[in-house]
Amino acid sequence: MATLPSGLSDSISDDEGLARFLTQSSQFTTTLVKPAAFLPNPKDHQTSVSRHGPEPKADLWMLGLSAAGTRTLYAAAIFKAQTVRAAQLEVEADEPPPRHAVITGWPWDTADPDLQRAKQKELALKIASQAHLLRR
Amino acid sequence: MPEPISTLGLCFAGYVSLSAYAKGGSAISVEANAARNAANAVMDSMERSQAIFGKKTAAISQLRALAIECGQENWDGDGAAAIDPKAILNAEAIVRALPIGVLLPEFAPEPDGSVSLDWIHSRTCQFSMSVGSNHRLAYAWLDGTDSGHGVASFDGSTVPPRVIEGIFAIAKNGHAPIGTI
Repeated sequence: MATLPSGLSDSISDDEGLARFLTQSSQFTTTLVKPAAFLPNPKDHQTSVSRHGPEPKADLWMLGLSAAGTRTLYAAAIFKAQTVRAAQLEVEADEPPPRHAVITGWPWDTADPDLQRAKQKELALKIASQAHLLRR
Repeated sequence: MPEPISTLGLCFAGYVSLSAYAKGGSAISVEANAARNAANAVMDSMERSQAIFGKKTAAISQLRALAIECGQENWDGDGAAAIDPKAILNAEAIVRALPIGVLLPEFAPEPDGSVSLDWIHSRTCQFSMSVGSNHRLAYAWLDGTDSGHGVASFDGSTVPPRVIEGIFAIAKNGHAPIGTI
């Protein structure tokens, strides 16, 4: 097991906290994160997350602001790596930047992109149902 | 040269006249009562239509705001595609086509340029549909520990029955955030 430049292990344990930073107000309701917030990028078929739980908040938001760049950072969706794996997906360390990780293993079927999207949506719903919304 | 009269103006004038007539008068003949009842029925229908149309108009405004917010590539900072204007038009058509009694959805951008229509009853009770540039609708639902997905075709005017059933199944115990129409 190797240690990454951030000091974290390259292996992500099931109980490790993950954060998906939300830069659109339409990605969440007053209390819940919407499933679309977890869908993969169509170019690399992955979803970017940061390896950070809800605390300490100052560090979380510092990571979020760095990830958001010039965009407004509204909130973070916080969930466990176990949630991702329970949805039959995987989460892997992907530094740099520090603490960056990606959700991989999304269904990808170029023969039927609509069915592919429906499958992805079901998995995104499963993650969203276990994620906690942390507003900035 | 005569002044042009707008259709809206005529409609308003008609509405005001009808409203005044429906509210009453002193006529007591059978014909007068029948006419008043008919006017009341038309008024009820118009007011119900306005209530429905108002909520749908608000939903469509939200969609258009989303199109502007996410109209450029990389709106999420993670390489997302710009929201496709055709997806917005299709989503608007779906909102217009939702039958009376069906909840209106919330909207969210998707990284491939589609729009997500979400009916969220609770954390574990949701129906989510992806609307893209074509007329095929990718949807999925979560109901407790049960989940599933599917694809249905939208002809531009009638929301597929499978989708309506899915929305009703999610809504049976409560109301979606925006409200019923």
